[in-house]
Formats: sequence, structure tokens, C-alpha cells
Amino acid sequence: MIEALLFQGLVGLSEAMYLWMVAAGLSLIFGVLRVLNFAHGSFYMLGAYLTLTALRAFGGNFWLALAALPGICVIAWGMERFFLRHVYHLEVAYQLLLTFAFVLIFDDLTRLVWGPVYQAPPTPRGLDRAVSVLGRPFPLYNLFILGVGVALGVGLWLLLERTRWGRLIRAAAMDREMASALGIRVPRLYTAVFVLGALLAGLGGALSLPIHAVSPGMGELIIIEAFIVVVVGGLGSLTGAFLSALLIGLLHAYGIVFLPVFEMALAFILMAVVLILRPWGLFGVREG
Amino acid sequence: MRRRDFLKAGLVGTASLLGAGALGPGEGGAAPAAKRLTKPIRIGGQAVMSGPLGGYGQFMRMGAQLAVEEINRAGGILGAKIEIEFRDEELKPDVAVRNARYFVDVWKADFLIGIDSSSVALAVGAIMPQLDRVLVVTHAATEKLNEQLVFKQGIRQVFRISVPVYQDGILSAMIARDFPVRTWATISPDYEYGHTSWKMFRETLKRFRPDVEFVAESFAKFGTVDFGPHISKVMAVRPEAIFSTEWGGEAVALVKQAKLFGVFQNTKAWMCGMGAAMDVLEGLGKDYPEGAWVSCRYWFQYPNTAENRRFVSRFRERWQKYPHYVSETSYSAVYALKGAVEKSGSIETAAVAKALEGMTLTTPAGKRHIRAEDHQAVYEVPWGRITHDRNYPFPILTDLRVVPADQYYRHPPFA
Repeated sequence: MIEALLFQGLVGLSEAMYLWMVAAGLSLIFGVLRVLNFAHGSFYMLGAYLTLTALRAFGGNFWLALAALPGICVIAWGMERFFLRHVYHLEVAYQLLLTFAFVLIFDDLTRLVWGPVYQAPPTPRGLDRAVSVLGRPFPLYNLFILGVGVALGVGLWLLLERTRWGRLIRAAAMDREMASALGIRVPRLYTAVFVLGALLAGLGGALSLPIHAVSPGMGELIIIEAFIVVVVGGLGSLTGAFLSALLIGLLHAYGIVFLPVFEMALAFILMAVVLILRPWGLFGVREG
Repeated sequence: MRRRDFLKAGLVGTASLLGAGALGPGEGGAAPAAKRLTKPIRIGGQAVMSGPLGGYGQFMRMGAQLAVEEINRAGGILGAKIEIEFRDEELKPDVAVRNARYFVDVWKADFLIGIDSSSVALAVGAIMPQLDRVLVVTHAATEKLNEQLVFKQGIRQVFRISVPVYQDGILSAMIARDFPVRTWATISPDYEYGHTSWKMFRETLKRFRPDVEFVAESFAKFGTVDFGPHISKVMAVRPEAIFSTEWGGEAVALVKQAKLFGVFQNTKAWMCGMGAAMDVLEGLGKDYPEGAWVSCRYWFQYPNTAENRRFVSRFRERWQKYPHYVSETSYSAVYALKGAVEKSGSIETAAVAKALEGMTLTTPAGKRHIRAEDHQAVYEVPWGRITHDRNYPFPILTDLRVVPADQYYRHPPFA
């Protein structure tokens, strides 16, 4: 019994990693740019689709195909540089409208370029098998995803806490005008953060490609959950995003076992409870 | 009146005189077949065209489109050309009801076809008396459509050309009874179709095999991409076989993930009612485990008739693809309407519905008999096992099992 529960939990944690990769970028972008980017899920989708195209071009080698991910950076750069930048000083409603417009545009472009039908390339060789965990077969690919997710978490922490660039980002997040006055080139920093966030989501999408079926609109499915993760964890807090992604992964996995009827509602209930008791999120900073 | 108009009027007048004259005295009521329709016939189709199951809409449209092109090239229906338009039902009843109203009220559709989701079919079916058009459902499989809506509530406008869940829930059990399997579990969609099929499967199998036990079930919400928690939940009790009614991209994701969890090595059988849909075969390709038991609503290699071979080759010529089952059902739906309009000599709903009742059609999927009582087309679709064949760019079926439809369809009065 205990083993079955641990196994179920491990499955939940591994699948939470996709959510974490999307939520990390969403939270980072919100924390620094103060923009709630609805189109963030689109980067997840585009990451999957660009990798898919590269996969076909490179004769099915998944690792080589990941080289297509910088394409995400170009798209994100264009979106920030030419569009988003013009609405930073406007009301939130404008930002939501603009980023929502991008959701529709990206969805339709994806449909035009890759077709409306879902696609599902094979699982990369070497990772398409199970290993024994707690006496039962567990997908090696899920272990790999867990590893990537944790490594990304550590990497991001080091980047933000231990590098000069990270200090600049934190400074700009805390007080944009002061940072600017001190000679930090804030617009350029914003672009970089936006591109980094998009790349994280794109990586999540790319890594989901071998075991999910990708289709236009897949971005919307994950962005809603990613929003919940960010709200629960605390807007702008990466630690919060990581832990709340894990929490939601576990809620899913155990909800399916113990409360299948309410399973879908559990994440929303969690969010509601957090918003009532701790509106700034579990790891967020209370403002004002 | 200009000269040309005058001539035209004269021609029409003469033609109609000739037409009336041709009947001659004593022949009484005009033979319906001699009747000519003056306006184009409009067919409004709807299917899911977006999202993870969006492939269905494309395939459905291809089939209907092919039928329309063939018929129009051959002179139309009683001289009238067919016009067809498709809209996205999004698997949402409210959207589909809006589409149906648009088609009838604004676009002036004469007939409606399509619909993928069971709940959508029930919602649209319920307003058909009000819209008063014939609706031919080409995919949604809930037995409530024919058993309740048509048979019990008497909604005469609704028909279904495709197989009901009897295929997924009853025939599956008739095949599974021979398996050396004592414990079954399911991972299926958490809506009408998934629950009904599993219930039918359990009830039918239990009748044949009282020793069988159903040890676990996990129902996945629409839009599920990670089946991991569902797989690990049911595999925790080590069932000997898995029954699933996931479909489209969700069936693809489920099979891929189940493979990673070693499900196919640790169970004796895998059954999936829609696992032989062309999109799933293409989606999984070489990843599809050999020997999995699958079915659908039409398999392009069955039956081996001239009709079917001709349809497959025409379809491939037109679309460079093998037909999906919804391509065949929508193709046959258009032909069924053609047959009914020609038989009744009318496009009036009551007349066409009456003509469809009891009609037997020769279609690519074989002979279809449309039962008068519940408006359900009765025909056979095989179950079979996945095999990889180098002559096809996707896995195909082998070891086909066909059971006479009468033996696995439920019959009116559905006691």
C-alpha cells in the first residue's frame, strides 16, 4: 500500500515538471516585467512544434532536434521588442488583450503551418523503456524529466542568486526606475528575461513531444494550470512556482486515486484557499 | 423583357408543358423519380475541427466532400447540385446547437450531418423537432440517441449512419470472453461514451464469463495529456487486461505512455474500441504494440467488395490518404440522403425521414439497413489485432473478427 502510494506520488512529481517549466518562465516574466503573459502557453506549444519539424529534418534524432529551440528566442524577442514593450506603461487590461491576441495568432499560425491534426513522434531511443522502481516498471523518460526539472530549478537559482546578471534582474524587478538611474539598461534586460522565460516554456513543450500528442491549442491547456501554480506559489517567486508545481502534480496523482470525481477541481480549490488565506501566495512577498 | 429572358421563359414554359405531357393521361400520381428539383440542396455538417481531436473534422469533411463531388459530377440529386458547409462543433453542446440553428435559420440548410461527441449529438438531436430538418449523425455513438431520443421520445428527424457503442461495449465483450484473462481494468474518457462502454462491457462479459472480475477503473477528463497517474493507479492492482475507449490524440498519448510503464509486457490483452481509427494508426505508427485488439466504425479493408475497393481508391486519389472511418460514415450519410430524396421525390423533412426508415443501402462499409423503429443503421464492423505491414505506411489489422450485427446490436424495444 505504502509502495503504491509512493509510486503514484513519483508519477505525479515527474509529470509536474512540464508544469514547472512553463510556470517558471511565467513567474519570472511577471516578477520582472510585471506582465501577465497569456501567450506563455504558446511558447510551450511552439517549442513542441519547432522540435517536431527539426526532428523530421534530422531524421528522427530527438537530441539534435532540440537545437531548434533557439527559434523560440527569436519569436519571443520579436514579440517583446515590437509589441509588448509598448504596453508596459498601460493598464493591465491592455497587456491581457495584447497577449491574448497573440494566443489566437500563434494557434492559427500553428494550424496553418503544421495542420490541425495532432502529431506524435516516437519516443527517443534509449529512453523508451521502463526501469524498476519500488518493484514496478517506471518510465525512464519520467525519471529523465524529473532530472531535467530539478536541474533547471538549481540552474535558475544559481543564475539569479549567484551571478551579476541575476543581481541586475533582481534589482530591476525590485525598482525599475532606480535600476535605470543606476545605469542598468532595463529595456534590454526585460527582453532578455522575456526570452529566457519563453525558452523555458519552449523546452517544456519540446520535452513533452515524445510522450504526448501535440496539437494546436495545447498551450491553453497548460497555461491555465501554470497560472494556478504561479498564483499558489506567489507571483514572481521561483521557489514558490517550483514547490506549488510539485504540489499540484501530487494533487493530480492522488486526486485520481482518492477523489476521482473532484480531481479536476482540486487545483482550483487549492488556489481559492490560498487566495483567501494568503492572497500573495505561499512564497510571494506581501505588497504595500 | 429582354430577348434573352423571353427565350428563357419560353424554354422553361415549353419544358414544363412537355414534362406534364409526358405523364400522359391515366398515369395518375407523378412517379417521384421523374421529378426535378430546382434549387441546390444544402447540407450543413459539423464535426470537431480543433484541439487534440481536431483530426476527426478534417477526415469527416473529406468523406462528405468526396460524395458531394461525385454526386454533382453525375448530375446532382434529381437535377439539383449539393452544396455543403462544415462548422466546428468544438465538442461543446452549446456551440453545436448554435451551429445547427445557424445552418437551418440563416444558411437555409436542407439537411444536417456530422457530430463527433455524444453529448453534442443528444443536445442537437433534442432540438431537431423544432428545427425540423433531418439530421444524420455520422460518429457520436451514445445508445441514448437511438434508444431514447428516437425510439422512446419519438424524434423522427434524427438518424445515425455510424455504429453505436454496441461496437465498443458489447462486441468487445463477445470477443474478450475467449481471452485467458480473469481481471480487467479500464482507462477511459470521463464522459458519456467512456462510462457507457465500460458498463456495457462489464455487463456483457459477466454474462459469458461469471469468473471475470473488474478490478480497477480510472476515468480521464477530456483534454488529458498525462495518463501517467491513471496508468499507475490501475496497474497498482496488476490487472491482466486493459479495456479503453480513449480516442484520437488521447488514445495515442495513452498507448505511448502505457508502453513506457511496461503495461504491454505485464498484461495479456489491450482492447481499444477506437484504436483502429486512421488518425490513431498514423499517430502511433511503429509505436503501436503488435497484437492490441482494436476496432472502429469502418475498417477500410472490410468488406472486400467492389464498392469498398472503389471508395478507397477514389478517396486516396482525391486526398492522398486512406479513409478514416468518419470519412466513410459521412460519405455514406450524403449518399443515404441522396437515396431518400430520390425515393421520396422531395426534400421535405417528413418525406425524407419516411424514405430513410427501413432503407437498405449498399455502402463501402457493406449493406446498411436503417431500422425504422430507432433510425439506427445496422451493419458490421470488425475487431482485429494490430500488426505492422510494410505495404502500408501505418499499422493495419489482422485476425479480423466479425459477428453478425443482429447478434450484438440491442433491439427495440430496448427492454
